[in-house]
Amino acid sequence: MSQVPVTVLTGYLGAGKTTLLNRILTERHGKRYAVIINEFGAEGIDGDLVVNADEEIFETNNGCLCCTVRGDLIRILGSLMKRKDRFDAILVETTGLAAPAPVAQTFFVDAEVRARTRLDSITTVVDAKYIQQRLDDTSEAAEQIAFADMILLNKTDLVSAEELAAVERRIRGINPYAILHRTSRCDVPLDRVLGQGAFDLERILAQEPEFLAVDDHDHHHDHHGDHDHGHPAPLRHYHDEQIGSLSLRSERPLDRERLQRWLQELLATSGKDILRSKGIVSFRGDDRRFVFHAVHMTMDGDFMAPWPDGAPRVTRLVFIGRDLDEAAIRRGFEACVAA
Amino acid sequence: MTAATADELGAPGRRLAFDGGAITAARIDATGRVAAFALGDGSVRLVPLAGEEIITVGAHAGLTLALAPGIDGGFLSGGDDGRLCRIALDGTTSVLATFKGKWIEQLVANAASGTIVCGAGSNAAVIAVDGRPLPQPRLLPHPSTVAGLALDPRGRRLAVAHYSGVTLWWSKSAEQTPVKLEWGGSHLGCLFSPNGQFVVSAMQENSLHGWRLADRADMQMTGYPHKVKSCSWLTRGRLLATSGAKRIVCWPFEGRDGPMGKSAIEYGPEDAGSVTVVAAHPDKDLIASGHDDGAVWLSRLQDGRAIRLANGAGAPASALVWSASGATLAAGAEDGTAALFDFRTPPK
Repeated sequence: MSQVPVTVLTGYLGAGKTTLLNRILTERHGKRYAVIINEFGAEGIDGDLVVNADEEIFETNNGCLCCTVRGDLIRILGSLMKRKDRFDAILVETTGLAAPAPVAQTFFVDAEVRARTRLDSITTVVDAKYIQQRLDDTSEAAEQIAFADMILLNKTDLVSAEELAAVERRIRGINPYAILHRTSRCDVPLDRVLGQGAFDLERILAQEPEFLAVDDHDHHHDHHGDHDHGHPAPLRHYHDEQIGSLSLRSERPLDRERLQRWLQELLATSGKDILRSKGIVSFRGDDRRFVFHAVHMTMDGDFMAPWPDGAPRVTRLVFIGRDLDEAAIRRGFEACVAA
Repeated sequence: MTAATADELGAPGRRLAFDGGAITAARIDATGRVAAFALGDGSVRLVPLAGEEIITVGAHAGLTLALAPGIDGGFLSGGDDGRLCRIALDGTTSVLATFKGKWIEQLVANAASGTIVCGAGSNAAVIAVDGRPLPQPRLLPHPSTVAGLALDPRGRRLAVAHYSGVTLWWSKSAEQTPVKLEWGGSHLGCLFSPNGQFVVSAMQENSLHGWRLADRADMQMTGYPHKVKSCSWLTRGRLLATSGAKRIVCWPFEGRDGPMGKSAIEYGPEDAGSVTVVAAHPDKDLIASGHDDGAVWLSRLQDGRAIRLANGAGAPASALVWSASGATLAAGAEDGTAALFDFRTPPK
């Protein structure tokens, strides 16, 4: 059975999620989508495959405190897959205040959900006019940006060019890795939003050039030289924003055992604050590329195709998190470089 | 002829294939005349065991989620349209209750006491008591969605599974303080032991949890590679047969301690696919199992012998039920295929 892709849609009420969902449900694209909406929001979404969810979160008993999942999603996805009428993709809308982690972790933790569906991307709709205020007032707004694989910076027609640039800098301070589309009324072609495969290890690998390029020209920090600590890939964050990102690289191969032990320990002890991480790793004595990604403590990783002949084998890890201890993480990483 | 000689039957059973998505549940009516299959297109298919003509009942809008025997014959069905329907054996359908925006996925009925209860969001809704529908469903609230329901054999006690435990109610009482059996995590289903001494719940973490009601002693039944989606009491409640592993896992529930400190016993084929559904014969020591390759097996406790009733078509078995007399076994799978095995047919 092929896995149905699931796109998680986050963002504050009024940012434009409903506009996007209605476009997905009404545009002529020849595809069928099931939409799971939260109980309280999303008035005015119509369609024969719109399901109400209760956003019920529970802690799993696997010893991992931050490993919360959405039980209602497990049930709904399980039943949707029994229907006669099949669909091409599923969208899960979350309330403005919901943290995206329990939704994402549901796709890692539940074996049946994993067997039948796959997380395609976390897409966050951001209101260009009000996001600064949201970021000042709440922690969820920054988390939704930090978690995103894709950001739709919406309502750009309501702000000046300067305001837009400032908003974008602030977003990039939290999450420099997400794909960002500037939109008004969420007017982005749907095929650039759906079917992203952001959690697909093959896809992470395929995007390697961009993934590696992000830090090589520091185009988001041009006006924030005070945060440039003088070495490549400093901890990025915006003013006093708690959430920032950290990128690590090594041109020398790593020791497999040491890296795996360090990563496990790091995610076990700091996974609560590390929202997302990804990496492509070169191990000593192994021609294959090791690719991983994680949401908090739940990690998925595997050995993939070998490094291309003659290409530089550059290990690259990125972390997005709250109050990241840059020095400690950097030290831990450097200790994994094979002697 | 009894099922003990079923291995002498060449290829028993009548094969059916419904075009309606997955089979989500199967039942045989109390008189043993009609089998019902709930499907992923909102229909319920009524199959007369002694006839050819299948009745398709368009019971629900999208997906039929639950099926239970009716309290006065026929069947009850729940769907993703929030409707709870009563379906007579001739296909006549009436709506017993509607819960707008809810999925009726949990549904239990007890003919002896005339009780019907369904889950509607975080409420358990008592629909009928003493064989009569209540003017308004009586709503019993819980901290999260009702994920499992069970009535004790007499239909007096109701168990409701939800996050962080199971809540026990008296099904008839209007005013009451429920008993809360607490255990952290997500409880997905529950059942009473036939003697009423134990309550068992199935959990998200591939395990069962049990409570001895006399002193609320906890017990954990672990070691499953998959979630336990199906449980059935064997030998009048001395063994609890469960799905969720390569073979049928049976926990001893004899005596005061139940399975505490005891090991599970395994039955069934050793080289078949994982067990997805189990159904114990109503009075013989036989257990039917449906597997993730679609195969259906019958195992005998006495000597552990297992025989294959049906090869799998590939899709996992999703429903398995015996008629009250044990003469018929109905099986359904996720691809909409079904089979009826008649153990009254003399061997060839």
